[in-house]
Amino acid sequence: MILLVRLFIPHSLRARRLSEPEAAFPACPAGRRIPNFRPLFLILTLTLMWMGLPVGSLQAMPPVQRMTLSNRLVLVASGEHSLPFVTLQLLVDSGSRRDPSGGEGLAYLTAKGLLHGTSKRTINQINEELDFLGASLNSSSGRDYATLSLRVLKKDLEKGFDLFMEVLTQPVFPEEEMKREIEKTLAAIQSEEDQPEEVAEKAFLKALFLNSSYGHPVEGTEESVPKLKREEIVRFYGSYYHPNNAILAIVGDITEQEIKAKLVPQLEKWPKGEIPKVPFITNFEKEQKTVKINRPITQANIILGNVGVSRENPDFYALTVMNYILGGGGFASRLMEVIRNKRGLAYSVTSFFDPGKYPGSFQIVLQTKNPSAREAISLSLQQMERIQKELVSEKELEATKKYLIGSFPMRLDTQGKLANFLSQVEYYGLGLDYPEKYPSLIRSVTREDIVRVAKKYLHPKKHILVIVADLKEAGLE
Amino acid sequence: MGLNTGLKFVRRLFPLLLLSFILSVSISEAGLKENVFETALPNGLKVILLENHKAPLVTFQVWYRVGSRNEAYEKTGLSHVLEHMMFKGTEKTGPEQFSRIIQENGGNDNAFTSHDYTAYFENLSEDRVQVAIDLEADRMQNLVLREEDFRTERMVVMEERRLRTEDNPQAVLIEQIMATAFQIHPYRWPIIGWMEDIGRLKLGDLKAYYQTYYNPVNAFLVVVGDFKKEELLTRIEKAFGSYSKGAAPNQEKDKEPSQMGERRIFVKREAQLPTILMVYHVPNLRNPDSYILEVIATLLSGGKSSRLYQSLVREKRLVLSAEADHSLVSRDPDLFTLSADVLPGKEVAEVEKAFDQEIGRLQREPVGEQELVKAKNQLEASFIFGQDSIFNQAMLLARHEIATSWKAIDDYLPSIRKVTPEDIQRVAKKYLTPDNRTVGILIPLPPKEGKPAPDGPSTKEKMIR
Repeated sequence: MILLVRLFIPHSLRARRLSEPEAAFPACPAGRRIPNFRPLFLILTLTLMWMGLPVGSLQAMPPVQRMTLSNRLVLVASGEHSLPFVTLQLLVDSGSRRDPSGGEGLAYLTAKGLLHGTSKRTINQINEELDFLGASLNSSSGRDYATLSLRVLKKDLEKGFDLFMEVLTQPVFPEEEMKREIEKTLAAIQSEEDQPEEVAEKAFLKALFLNSSYGHPVEGTEESVPKLKREEIVRFYGSYYHPNNAILAIVGDITEQEIKAKLVPQLEKWPKGEIPKVPFITNFEKEQKTVKINRPITQANIILGNVGVSRENPDFYALTVMNYILGGGGFASRLMEVIRNKRGLAYSVTSFFDPGKYPGSFQIVLQTKNPSAREAISLSLQQMERIQKELVSEKELEATKKYLIGSFPMRLDTQGKLANFLSQVEYYGLGLDYPEKYPSLIRSVTREDIVRVAKKYLHPKKHILVIVADLKEAGLE
Repeated sequence: MGLNTGLKFVRRLFPLLLLSFILSVSISEAGLKENVFETALPNGLKVILLENHKAPLVTFQVWYRVGSRNEAYEKTGLSHVLEHMMFKGTEKTGPEQFSRIIQENGGNDNAFTSHDYTAYFENLSEDRVQVAIDLEADRMQNLVLREEDFRTERMVVMEERRLRTEDNPQAVLIEQIMATAFQIHPYRWPIIGWMEDIGRLKLGDLKAYYQTYYNPVNAFLVVVGDFKKEELLTRIEKAFGSYSKGAAPNQEKDKEPSQMGERRIFVKREAQLPTILMVYHVPNLRNPDSYILEVIATLLSGGKSSRLYQSLVREKRLVLSAEADHSLVSRDPDLFTLSADVLPGKEVAEVEKAFDQEIGRLQREPVGEQELVKAKNQLEASFIFGQDSIFNQAMLLARHEIATSWKAIDDYLPSIRKVTPEDIQRVAKKYLTPDNRTVGILIPLPPKEGKPAPDGPSTKEKMIR
């Protein structure tokens, strides 16, 4: 089944947003991609007194319980009982920023390796059992953290949860299986060469972040991955996969009593550990830099940007509003208006900040036929400059605020989205009342704030520019 | 990681295309027919409503029974270009104002075109549903098509074609294989159209097409979410009721004749890994065999214990990934697809042989009881997981409605449950035959200049074994 949508967001952006903080950040507006629109749940049956925390009152947020177990594992839970299934998402603070130099891909391989065999079961037994339940159990890693997620029918919760705990606490990373995973990762890295947007993205991150901890692809490189050894994986796992370094979100058809009776005793057996402190290497390109990559393709894949911010930056909300107007707001954004609607130069043009625990990047991403590359770049730079110089109109500001506040409930409307949201709210310390605070955080942004943050965080003169194109056709040789 | 294989690639590109997944997922089994309300306005506009009060949200969708199957030679891509033009305004709404208005109301909107349909939707808070109703009703009949907007938007569509197809080796392979497997039926050409056709479309073509297909009698509404149906229906009648019915367009298409022997194509272009696709003509859900093909697809590639994964990925180590896919809810009979991304240094012929072995096994050996139960469990679990989303619920109703009737959803699980090992053997023998298939192979060529050759055999040595 093939569909064409009016606008979708290129894969590389989606992929990153899925593996990295997503729900805690502004929803993708219309047109950026097709949202998965799912109901959020207001009817609550969990008792309101667990841990004595108040229940979220805003309609956007179903009540949530938070507790810290004896082994320091933080649990956030929200029950909803209209459908007979449960979603668990565990976040472990063990992302690729902790990869050793020369060992890029270690965090990713460790996360993947969880599912490759335990002291009790082989990989085939694990897969057979999961498929028989119709359940899904996945692990992966992003820049900041790894995730392990389970989706299972309520009737199979115990079996599913046993598997979840087993892969989490008793993985054996069999030598043979890890070799296979390395082989697969290398082939995947190679096949990404066929996707110009992936090629551009990797080149951009490398050019911007140099040798800093966010500079390498999460899955590693062609050079680093073949060198990864089982002992390193076992050591990495032993260092970081501890309850005091993790957050577990539980969502769906499960009660507080069930969590306490069925899950907590097993979770508390997971032993604490000392987590090594790894310094974050901050080093990014501060001058203008252009990277050109020649490919026999019809479109120039362009990324234009600079260093961004961390999620904890207090300017995050002003940047959210600013970026919506600039290029994040789908068909309501200026870049879309100027580049697509007025001139027909691109199908997709978007801008975003991708904040992490540490400053990520700011990027404008677009694709246009080779001969239009220069024009599209110059239009993008003009828009960055314009938003630094001119106050946005009252009308634009109001429309933006209405979207960001009004669409918030749609960011929590499936079990998966809610589990992701809850674990991130905890990870970034936003507070369980974040959905209640969010409207006022957005409302307080002024036109002057937008100019201020645009000046501070956009660098049209000292941008990083990556172009993957037929350079001759683009006139960029 | 983005690994391309045939239809999986399609899913990767288009988020909505969790679709073949959505299809195995659906509305609560218990009493769908009792919960869905169907009516038709006097002008023929069918309205399908499903109340779901779990959240104060609504998905409002307008589906037109027009897609690339309704196009003609030299006019391919017309449905999709018109979809883009539907955002260019009416007398009341300026060009590109549509999405702005929805977003200012805290909603998201988008549109999509397929072989069989063109659909428009708004997801928003229940207290804003009137905004969507008014905007959609307005553009059903009052679209203003301007030459200047058309010229610009055609450029956008050409960029879209470059992005999706021209620069994507797997997408080119899919396009080529469709054009080979289908010779008479219009599934033959790409939904986005051939570049040459997009270039020669005229504003007059769009006007005539809009006139023919954008009528109450050729459309239906699907609304799912937090509303009261009587109240919503009153609003819908008020907004859409005044339009005249319009003439029902001819929807009959020539049947694709049975294939008289295998067809085989190659696409040679710069790429990293070979890809192989094998497609077989199969029926859609009008024929009960279709549900058996659903089970077959699950046996082959549902999860990591599935046959293709176990055999091609794990035992033979030939491919990065392998998939089986079946399009149950197409309006006309479509294809059953096998696809694989071949690992560096492995032979495509070996992969083809492995596919043949798996097909042969389905035909020869009755599937074991445990394995069959596993496949059915997977389909049932997906069915329940998919109900988490009112958007998915609406999509599912609408896609069944396009194929036959939304009511067919109620047949899904019972039909899956009654599949027997003998059914599987029979259906595999009937459809998955060499004479009924088209094979497409992407042969990577090394780059002409600029960068080192993609690793052929040398990569093999780099691999740790």
